[in-house]
Amino acid sequence: MTLAPSLRRTEAGPTRKAAAGVVRRASRTAEAGGLEARRRGTRVILWTALAAALVLYGFPFLYLILTSFKTPSETIAVPPTLLPTTWTLENYAGALGRPGVLASFVNSLQTAVVSTLLSLVLAVPAAYAVTRFKTPAGSVFVLASLVTRMVPPVAVGLPLASMLGSVGLADTPVGLAIAHTTVSLPLSIWLMCSFLDAVPRDLEEAALVDGCSRLGALWKVVIPVVSGGVSVTAIFAFLASWNEFLFALLLTAVRSQTTPVVIANFQTQFGLDWGPMTALAAVYSIPVVLLTLFLQRRIVAGMTLGAVKG
Amino acid sequence: MRLTDRRFALLLMAPAAAFLALFVAYPLLRLVYDSFFRISPVAGGPREFVGLANYAAAFASEAFMGAGWRTLVYTLVVVTAEFALGLAMALVFAALGRRAQVFRTVFLYPLMIAPIVAGLLWKFLMIDNFGLLGALLAQAGILSDPNQIGWLSDPGIVLYSVAIPDVWLTTSFMCLVLFAGLQNVPGDLLEAARLDGARPTVLLFRIILPLLRPVIAVALVVRGIDAARAFDTILIQTNGGPQSASEVMSLLVYRTMVRFGDPGLASAMGTVYLVAMLAVAVVALATIWRPGKDT
Amino acid sequence: MLSSHRALKRTLLAGAAVTAIALTSCGVGGPTSDPNSKSVTVLVEAGGHAELTPIAEQCEKDTGIKTTFVELPYEGLFNRLTSEFSSGQVSFDVAAVDSVWLPNVKDAVQPLDDLFTDEAKKDIFPALVAEAKPDGHFVGMPVWTNAEVLFYRKDLFEDPANKAAFKDRYGYDLAAPTTWEQYQDAAEFFTKDGMFGTDVKGGVETEWLAHVLQAGSPGVVLDKDGKVIIDNEAHREALDFYVGLAKSAPSGAAQVDWAAAQNLFYQGKTAMTRFWAHAYRQIPADSPVAGKVGVAPMIGGEAGVAGIPGPWYLSVPKATKNAENAKAFVKCAFDHNDLAIGSKLGLAARVSAYEKFQDQAGYESFGPLVETLSARATATRPATDKWQQIVDTVLVPMLQKAVAGGDSATLLAEAKAKVEDIVNP
Repeated sequence: MTLAPSLRRTEAGPTRKAAAGVVRRASRTAEAGGLEARRRGTRVILWTALAAALVLYGFPFLYLILTSFKTPSETIAVPPTLLPTTWTLENYAGALGRPGVLASFVNSLQTAVVSTLLSLVLAVPAAYAVTRFKTPAGSVFVLASLVTRMVPPVAVGLPLASMLGSVGLADTPVGLAIAHTTVSLPLSIWLMCSFLDAVPRDLEEAALVDGCSRLGALWKVVIPVVSGGVSVTAIFAFLASWNEFLFALLLTAVRSQTTPVVIANFQTQFGLDWGPMTALAAVYSIPVVLLTLFLQRRIVAGMTLGAVKG
Repeated sequence: MRLTDRRFALLLMAPAAAFLALFVAYPLLRLVYDSFFRISPVAGGPREFVGLANYAAAFASEAFMGAGWRTLVYTLVVVTAEFALGLAMALVFAALGRRAQVFRTVFLYPLMIAPIVAGLLWKFLMIDNFGLLGALLAQAGILSDPNQIGWLSDPGIVLYSVAIPDVWLTTSFMCLVLFAGLQNVPGDLLEAARLDGARPTVLLFRIILPLLRPVIAVALVVRGIDAARAFDTILIQTNGGPQSASEVMSLLVYRTMVRFGDPGLASAMGTVYLVAMLAVAVVALATIWRPGKDT
Repeated sequence: MLSSHRALKRTLLAGAAVTAIALTSCGVGGPTSDPNSKSVTVLVEAGGHAELTPIAEQCEKDTGIKTTFVELPYEGLFNRLTSEFSSGQVSFDVAAVDSVWLPNVKDAVQPLDDLFTDEAKKDIFPALVAEAKPDGHFVGMPVWTNAEVLFYRKDLFEDPANKAAFKDRYGYDLAAPTTWEQYQDAAEFFTKDGMFGTDVKGGVETEWLAHVLQAGSPGVVLDKDGKVIIDNEAHREALDFYVGLAKSAPSGAAQVDWAAAQNLFYQGKTAMTRFWAHAYRQIPADSPVAGKVGVAPMIGGEAGVAGIPGPWYLSVPKATKNAENAKAFVKCAFDHNDLAIGSKLGLAARVSAYEKFQDQAGYESFGPLVETLSARATATRPATDKWQQIVDTVLVPMLQKAVAGGDSATLLAEAKAKVEDIVNP
C-alpha cells in the first residue's frame, strides 16, 4: 500500500463524505447514534455549559469591536470601561486615514489572490497525479510536501528574502504571494488529494473513451465534479495568506506591506495608538468572520479534512 | 507518442515539486550553509568560515537553551488545553445534537481571525492597568486588586498567558475535528454498552477515545507543529519579555537574525530548530500514519 | 452540487479579474525611485513622520523634491534597516535613525561631512555633534532631539492643603523636586487616595541610565574605552534609587514601558513622571490632567542634572541610486529644522530653534529640555553596534529582576559578565 491512500484512510469516514459534499448527512447519521443526551436534566446542564462557552468565546472579539467605538482616551482608561461612554468613529477615521492603511488592504487582497491561484494551479494537477496514478514518486511527493508543512517559517524567511531580492521580487505582492504559497501549497495538495480520491474513476474513463485527452478529461470532467473541493481549498489558501504575518514582516517594506504588518505597526516607541489599532483590527477581521458565516459548511469540510489552520 | 501514465503523473507533479524545491528546499540549504559562517549584517561585508563555532555558541547560550525549553512547554500547554477544551465542546455538541448546529458556526469564528489580531485582542484584555480581565475578576471579587495578576508582566506566568490567544484561536479546530470523528462512532456500539450499564466515563475512556485515536493523533500533531512555530501572537503581546520569559524559538531566531545582526548564529539556531521539528514530524508521520494500513 | 459549481465559476471569473489587476501592478503605496524625477522616499517612525511633514512641504517648495514617507513602528524600523542593509537592496533614500542605531548602520550609509559646516556645528548640542561621528565621518544629520524631563501635577503641588501637609511631614516646602531625595519624598507623599506618586518603568532602560549619569558615572554601561563599568558605584546607587520608588508606583512595573507610563500620567494615576519632553505638547485636551501639568528639568544626583539625549538622525544609504536628491533633502531638513516645532511631536535639533520658542505660551517644556540637554553630566549612550542586544538581553531583563526584588549588587555583577560576553565574544 502506498502512503498517500493510507494517509486518507485514517480519517476515511468524514473525508469521503465531505468530499462528496454531504457533510450534513454525515452529521445526521451520528446524531441518530448513541451520543445524544436523553435526560432532560442533562440537556439543561449541557445547554448552560454551551451558552457559557459561547459567551467566553464570543466576548473577546465583541470587546474589540466595542473598544473601537470609544474615544482614544477612553480606549486606555484606567479602570477600563466595558461599553463606550460616547460612541464615536474617531478611531476608524484615525486608522483608515493613516497613510498606507488603505493601500495595505489592496496589497493584502492582491497577495492573497495571487497566492490562492498559484496554490490551485500547482496543487490540483499534482494531487490528481498522486491520486489517479499511484506511483512511488507520487508517495514520495506527498510525503515531501507534508514535511514542508513542518518547516518553521522563520527558517525559510530570510534566505527567501534575499533570493526574491536578487530576482527583483523584493517587496512586491508577487514575491510575498510566493512565500505564502510555500505555506498553502502543501495544505492545498493534501486537501485536493482527499477530494479527488472521492471522485469515481468511471467518469474520466467514460470521457477518455469519448475521445478526450487525459488533460481534457481532468479539465472538463474531473474539475467540474470536484469544484466544491476546489473552492474549499481556495478558501483555505486565501485565509492562510490573508492572515499571515511573519513572511509579510520579513519580505515587505514600502510597496507591498499587508494589513497585519500595519496593525502591528501601531505599536510605536511612545505611542498610545490602541484606539485606531482596534479599529483597524476590526475592519480587517470582519470580512473573514462574515466569510465563516456564509461558507461555514465548506470551512467545516476543509477543516476536518485537512486538519488545518496555521 | 502516447505518454505512459507514469510520465504523465510526473509531468503533473513537476511544477509543484519544482516550486517547493526552489522556494522551500533551496532557502533551507542556504540557511544550513550560512550557519557555518560569521556574516556581517551589512551586505557585501566580510564573510568568514567558522566551522561549527556558531553551533557551539548557540548551545552554550542560555537564551537558546531557554527558548528551546520554553517552546516545548508552550507547545505542550497549548495542545493539552486545546485538546481538553475541544473534546469537551465536541462532546457537548454531539450530546445536544442537531439543535446545537447553529452554535457550532459561532464557535468557529476565531479560526478566521489573524493570529496577530488575536494576540492584540488578548493583550488588550490582559495588559496591566487598563486590561479588562483583571478589572472584571476584581469586580467579581476573585481578585483583590485588578493588577494582582500580572498576566503579561509576571515572568512566572507569562508563558501561559501568551498561550491563551493561541488556545482561543484554535480550540474550535480541535473541536471540529473531534466532532467529525465522533460522527463515526457507531451508535449501536454505544447503545449496547449503555444497556450493559456502562457509565458515561467508561463510555468515554473505553469506547469513544480509543475509536477516535487516529483522529486525535492527527489533530494533536498538526496543532503541535503549529504551536511549536508560534510567533505572531507572542510578538505582539510581549515581544518575548519580561526577562525573556516568553521568548520562544521563532522569536529568538528572528531577533538574533534581524535585531542583533548575527545572521550566522541565527542560521545555526534556525538549523537546529528545523532539524528538531523535522525529526518530530518524521517520527509522528511514521507512528501515526503508517498503522493506517489495516483499517 | 450544481449551485456550488455555478458559485465556483463566478468566483473564478471574479478571481481572474482581480488577478489581472494584481499582476499588472506591482503593489500599492510605494514610491517610484526614479532618479530623474525629483523625489525621495524617507523611512520614518511615527514621530518622525509628524516632525518631517511640514519640513517636506517646505522643501518641495524650495527644491522641487517630492517626499514619500514610509512609516514603520519603532522596532520595525530598526529591523527593516538591518534586514535591508543585509540584503543590499534598499527601498528608501533617506532614513530617520535613532541615535543608538548609528553604530549599526554607519557602514551602510554615506558620509555627510560637507553638511556639517562650522556654523551648523555651533547650532547643534555638543553631545550630538560627537555622536553623529562614530568613525571619523558624520553619518547622520540630527533632525530632532529629546530628553527626559520632570512632569508633575501643578494643581496638586500648588494645593494649599498638600503644601501644609508636606511641610509638616518633611520639613521643607513642597515644590517640583530637583534631587533624588526630594523626588522620593514627593512620590511617597502623593501615593494616597488611589493615586501613585510616580511610575517605575521596568520595560525600558534609558531612564535608569540617566540616573546613572546623575550619580556621577563616567559613562553608562561602557566607559569611553569600551570597558564594562556597569558594576560601578553609580550604577548601583541609581538602581537602588530607581527600584526603591516601586513602593510609590503602580504594580506590574516589569512591563511598564513609555506608553504605559505616559498613559498612567495622562489618566491622572500618577502625580509625577520622568518622561520625554515631547509629551507635554501631546496631552490630550480631554485628559483629566489637561492644563494641570508643570514641567521642570530632569532631577539631579551628586553630579547634578543629567539626561540621556534621545536624538534622531537623517542618514542616506550607500545603496540608494537617488543620493543627490536624498542629500538635498537632508540639508533642507536641517535648514528648516524649526518648522518641526509646529508638528505633533514638536521637537527640533537646533539650539536656535528651541530658543526661538521657549518663551512662548504652550512651549513651557522647552526651557527644562534645553537645560537638561545642556547639563554638564548629560551624555549619550555608548557607541557600540551591540547596544540593542545589550538592552534587550541584559539591561531590561536586569531591571525587571530588580523591580521583582533582586539584589542590585548581584544583578549588576551578573549583568557585567553578560555585557562582557556580548562586546568581546
